[in-house]
Amino acid sequence: MIEPAAETRTPRRRLERLMPYLLLAPALVTLIVLLGYPAVSVLTTSFRELGRGELVRGEVVWTGFDNYVEVLGDSEFWLITLRTVLFTGTCVLLTIGLALLLALLMRRLPSGVRLLLQVSLLLAWAMPQLSATTVFQWIFDQNYGILNKTLVAIGLDGFERYSWFTTGLSTMAIIATLIVWQAVPFVAMTLYAALVGIPQDQYESAGLDGASAWQTFRNVTLPPLAPMLALVTFMSILWDFKVFAQVWAFRQGGPNGGSTTLPVLQYVEGIARGNFGVAAAISVLMVIVLMAISAQYLRLLLRSQGSEQ
Amino acid sequence: MKPRKATRTWLSVLAVVIAVVYLFPVYWMVSSSVKPAGQITSLEYDLIPRGFTLDHYVTVLAESDFLIYLRNSVIVTLSAVFLAVIVGLFAALALSRFRFRGRKGFVLMVLIVQMAPFEALLIPMFLFMRDTNLLDTLPALILVYWVITMPFTLWTLRNFVNGIPIELEEAAMVDGCGRFQAFWKVTFPLLGPGLVACSVFAFITAWNEFLYALVLMPSGSGQTLPIFLQSFQSVFGTDWGATMATSTLFMLPVVAFFAIVQRNLVSGVTAGAVKG
Repeated sequence: MIEPAAETRTPRRRLERLMPYLLLAPALVTLIVLLGYPAVSVLTTSFRELGRGELVRGEVVWTGFDNYVEVLGDSEFWLITLRTVLFTGTCVLLTIGLALLLALLMRRLPSGVRLLLQVSLLLAWAMPQLSATTVFQWIFDQNYGILNKTLVAIGLDGFERYSWFTTGLSTMAIIATLIVWQAVPFVAMTLYAALVGIPQDQYESAGLDGASAWQTFRNVTLPPLAPMLALVTFMSILWDFKVFAQVWAFRQGGPNGGSTTLPVLQYVEGIARGNFGVAAAISVLMVIVLMAISAQYLRLLLRSQGSEQ
Repeated sequence: MKPRKATRTWLSVLAVVIAVVYLFPVYWMVSSSVKPAGQITSLEYDLIPRGFTLDHYVTVLAESDFLIYLRNSVIVTLSAVFLAVIVGLFAALALSRFRFRGRKGFVLMVLIVQMAPFEALLIPMFLFMRDTNLLDTLPALILVYWVITMPFTLWTLRNFVNGIPIELEEAAMVDGCGRFQAFWKVTFPLLGPGLVACSVFAFITAWNEFLYALVLMPSGSGQTLPIFLQSFQSVFGTDWGATMATSTLFMLPVVAFFAIVQRNLVSGVTAGAVKG
């Protein structure tokens, strides 16, 4: 920053020095009050016995690791954690795989068809999550859903009034379909933007060298795409792990808790049952699991980059 | 890579099929919302509406509290976006136009905050709003959506400000503008696409948010559209026509927003990614 000569008077210079802090202050205060304080508070709450009774009486009862012992000692928690991790993994793999294929496809399309595809993706992306959720519920409706009607129409009479939500697994599969459907457009567009940046002549020289399609993808397309691919994978893990709206809207974690994930468990335990201390412990464990998945992923990423060099 | 003509044709056909499959849920939502009730609850197989009716929209607009929820959603979303963009812009300017002590620390903090799963703060947030008597009030949601969207807004705007050469401002200052004037007259107009892009993302985040709306509005007064849509089905039994009409109405502002800003949106989304 240059200092114009006229501004050397001291009050102005002091203001100049204070300026960045003044500009930063609102953001800093917001982050500390609305993020920093709750972040500390979720930790302290997780070491307290805090139910509706304590809340009303304003009591502070410290119980050490009791909440964690309770949560970790419950086999249900481990089942839900495993389910959440598998669900996240499935959604992320499908999202990234399909989005990558779509991005590669877009690159080879004539511009008119490409525009059609992109507008479709954008429209689907613009659909609010809850709108999309209700449409999927309507499509999968037991009696009048178009899916069952279609299956019957092509001769699979067993699907007349078939219920897709009788088991946790099928419920999770439908929720995963919805999540992937919603997530693919953004990822595909991002990957496509990165693909467009790869110089054309690299493909031409790969063609001259007689490289196969796979070799071209592996050696020309993948290296410049890798950072973006890593980023969208990481972001997808974050998004899919903490999905709540769609899971809750479908069957509130049912049938019989069969589609309960960690965010749903946190909500049910804390808000519905009023066990705030236990729910806070679940929140903390949720972050730890998420960090563990991400750390493992980052390590894999580093290793794969190391082996390429 | 220029594929052969036959391959190109097949790929185009594939792309059209994918586009159709992809658009099907959108089509199904809109077409179901204008189907006569009899067709909705018939077991016959038909992909195309027979007849057209706005009955479902009348049901939603006249016989439910849709408009109250819409108002709440609009107030909450616009306030949060406005706050996030203004405060984010100030901070972005500080980070990108000034060198000062603590700058790196703050940048690092924003990066970490962006990665953190905000949903994990549900319990303390509920207790915080309860202690401050903000439960069941719109400011509770405004505050939460503000802080959810601000780190991203701040980060995006910082990248945009970095992309505008400081020399432009300096030239204006040499010509006699003050620092503030130089920014306001020179840099701010160039920030348009950046402001639009991050407003759209913030808008969509806040417009869609479900978990905090569910938790911070326990009595239901001051609820937003996502909650209304979810509870709508149980209130109306399964009136799928009305549910699809509500879903369509819920989507309209987002589509309108996209349509208005699509040019800026694309440049915002792909900023930096498409070069050369």
